[in-house]
Amino acid sequence: MTVTDTAILESPVQGLDASKLAGQLERLAAELGIRRWDLGAACSTDTSVQVDRGEPKQLKGAQRSSITVRVWNADGLVGITSTSDLSAAGLARALAGAQEASAYGNADDTPTFSPLATAPLETLDQPLREPVGILSLLATLQEAERDLLSRHVAISTVPYNGLAQRSSERIYLNSDGACRQQRLSTASLYLYARAEEAGRKPRSSGAVRLAYGAGLLDVAGCIDEAAERTISHLDYAPIDTGRYPCVFSPEAFLDLIGAFSSLFNARSVLDGVSLSQRESIGEQLAVPFLSIHDNGLHPGNIGASSFDGEGTPVHRLALVDGGVLKHFLHSEATARAFGVAPTGHAGLGAKVSVGTNWLEIGPGDSAGGASGLDRHKADGVVWIESLSALHAGVKASQGSFSLPFDGWLIQGGEARSIEAATVAGDIRAVLKGLIGFEGPAKITPDGLCPHVWVEGLSITGDA
Amino acid sequence: MPALPLVASLPLPVVSLDPFDLSWRPRLEAVLSAGCAAGATLVEVFLESTDHIGLLAEQDRITNVSPAFGKGAGIRVFRGERDGFVSTNDLSKRGLLTALEQALGMLGLEPCSAGRGGFEGLAHLRDHAAAKAGWLAACPGLGDATARLLEGTALLECHGQHLQARRGSYARDWQEVMVAASDGTFARDIRLHQSVGLNALVADGEHRASQGRRYGSTDRPDDLLHWDAEASATELCASARAMLHADYVEAGSYPVVLANRFGGVIFHEACGHLLETTQVERGTTPFADQVGSPIAHGAVTAIDEGLSTGAFGSLSMDDEGMEPQRNVLIENGILKRFLSDRAGELRTGHARTGSGRRQSHAFAAASRMRNTFIAAGPHSPADLIGSVERGLYCKSMGGGSVGPTGQFNFAVEEGYLIENGQLGKPVKGATLIGEAKEVLPRISMCANDLELAAGFCGSVSGSIFVTVGQPHIKVDAITVGGR
Repeated sequence: MTVTDTAILESPVQGLDASKLAGQLERLAAELGIRRWDLGAACSTDTSVQVDRGEPKQLKGAQRSSITVRVWNADGLVGITSTSDLSAAGLARALAGAQEASAYGNADDTPTFSPLATAPLETLDQPLREPVGILSLLATLQEAERDLLSRHVAISTVPYNGLAQRSSERIYLNSDGACRQQRLSTASLYLYARAEEAGRKPRSSGAVRLAYGAGLLDVAGCIDEAAERTISHLDYAPIDTGRYPCVFSPEAFLDLIGAFSSLFNARSVLDGVSLSQRESIGEQLAVPFLSIHDNGLHPGNIGASSFDGEGTPVHRLALVDGGVLKHFLHSEATARAFGVAPTGHAGLGAKVSVGTNWLEIGPGDSAGGASGLDRHKADGVVWIESLSALHAGVKASQGSFSLPFDGWLIQGGEARSIEAATVAGDIRAVLKGLIGFEGPAKITPDGLCPHVWVEGLSITGDA
Repeated sequence: MPALPLVASLPLPVVSLDPFDLSWRPRLEAVLSAGCAAGATLVEVFLESTDHIGLLAEQDRITNVSPAFGKGAGIRVFRGERDGFVSTNDLSKRGLLTALEQALGMLGLEPCSAGRGGFEGLAHLRDHAAAKAGWLAACPGLGDATARLLEGTALLECHGQHLQARRGSYARDWQEVMVAASDGTFARDIRLHQSVGLNALVADGEHRASQGRRYGSTDRPDDLLHWDAEASATELCASARAMLHADYVEAGSYPVVLANRFGGVIFHEACGHLLETTQVERGTTPFADQVGSPIAHGAVTAIDEGLSTGAFGSLSMDDEGMEPQRNVLIENGILKRFLSDRAGELRTGHARTGSGRRQSHAFAAASRMRNTFIAAGPHSPADLIGSVERGLYCKSMGGGSVGPTGQFNFAVEEGYLIENGQLGKPVKGATLIGEAKEVLPRISMCANDLELAAGFCGSVSGSIFVTVGQPHIKVDAITVGGR
């Protein structure tokens, strides 16, 4: 047996060629007797660097491509197959695999094309940046590490760090003529420092920045934040186990709400694994001064998509307004089951997943909640900077959580880092136990949120 | 029929459905030779072909069938202790050489057309795959697999109470790999991992509980057909029933008895990762200079190996082409060695242990665990529970995490109070919190009932198949988070 290359032809066209892909699929589908199909495809080139005390640790590059084809068989049942092979042979095999899988499609819950797959899309202001050379990335990260190490004598290493850039493109096509295409360039920087003082435990903290290109990253801000956070945890003390009022940082509260987003997820509702039910829309879920919107199009959402996995346009959606549950997140299939329109939150599959895009949390148009909250003048309050282990410590279908966190105990206006602790509670009690918001909302990689005060939560200290 | 170009600016993937066999030698030798001629001290090519299928059953319906397949290559170039890594879906000679050129460029090296740079050619192919060629075809077809899953969810209905949702899932991951390196390494393998799981959500008014169990094996094509669905469903339903009306555990510091099998996840996460050379390289393990010193109670002997027949973490060779070994990590409390891969050996001096592993061609290999467990001790599980006046019995563990400074945190899925040496009422919401350095000396008793359990481990080189395990063990004191 010999190894042979199938033809690779050059073309000056950049990225995925949607029309060629559609033509190829149409021809192959016809050969297999498939009349109805859709497809999601993506390709990307990535470069990334890591450093270790001035030396390059790992330099990586990747070219990735992937495709998911979905077909409807003569009985209207759906099957899919995914592959990283975009050659004709790969596409043919994927179509055949999807056709075979369609024999096991779920007749009770069959997705179809989104009625909005050809609706107009919002125009996103996403500057495309050419990637910089990997040695330039390396120099930037080496300098950032050097700067961070110089900020405090106790900061000895930055064991977790990385500077990465990606150029990507994604496509949605279907046999009814829908054609969505989006190109994107993004870059990310993370710096997590480790600091240790004689006779004391090591402490660690860090910061992350995203941008549309490596040259647009706020490197200095990332270094400043990583240094400030790490240094702020050097002076630590154990905390007594008990109940404390808590102030969640924007990042921590967004993480918590995100972990319980099945509350708003129509797929989870239909599957019986959400705390919400079909009839929950209109119920008072939270204090009347809380609003939660999903807004994937927010300018702060680096890497926003204008359409979801089914080609449905992304738009701003009120999930909670005035504390009342207003809407669920939908795919085409769940929207049909609820008698509403798809909302732009779908993946692509035989059973289509649903998920949030980018959350906006705050008082919205509602008034209420305590005013003048200032954690810097508080007493006996736990300030939660970041939550960990959400995959293990959150029981989304039960509403409970028990999560390790980094943070400070504030006494008499003085904040002192907590040695190690977990926070536990029930999300429904949290949402109805909000005290108020502090300060302006902050843009984070996961959404927009101010600091959030919550009534007494159970804190377990590890002393 | 030639493929038409669909991706123009990126290298097109070229998938041959042919196996990786000796016909690849010239292409691989050309790449390795070019890398060495350019000045690389070592070049490694990892070829991969995958075929995956995932099934989901909910209630009494198959609701998702997800096949996937692909091919790719990862090329790693070393120049001294530094390395560059590039992955691609393009396995053509040109595609591989393009990726090599990128990797060389990361190290400041330029392609050189002359010479072989000291590369003496690949050795004789060590073909671990030869006897495994029929495995993929021998796996259950969609009809058999879906039938077994539906049998599982039906058994949940049979044995459960207050059921709100029932799920069964099955995954079959077939992978063919070929490793070629400029030191002559030339090896091929086929891996087959299958796992099947059941989950149930039970609800009674405001009370809710969810429980799940997953079973996994490697290298046994017909394993799903022998899965004891009845036993799985019975155990799961009993656990869900016990936890449905359980009270929240009171936070505090207790003696804890951890059950065997998946209880070993704590050792894996909290200690095992600290014994990988990647942690030595980062400077994030407190045990870096502790070989030969006591780091655990004398009752503790811990092992990592890749040899147990059928175990989820077993391998015929690692992802760098090296046969796995059985490594004693801790013997009677004394740290004996670290797990090491090629880069770990280069940078830390710890000899390779056949532990270079990666999720796929898109990751460079790193030192990772395989089947990791605490060895059996002399006691019975009843001895351990009987020795605790007031504490917690963790019958089933959930997931957890370890922070960058070594603190760990694990959820207890099924827990019971221990009062006066007897198991008491079930409790929920417990989280075990601590640091390996402090907890290892407190593991004072090990029982004689070692068992292994399949799991997945996510770390620097992606998500890989592993086994965790232990007998029942007693920890004299550990912080328990609760309400």
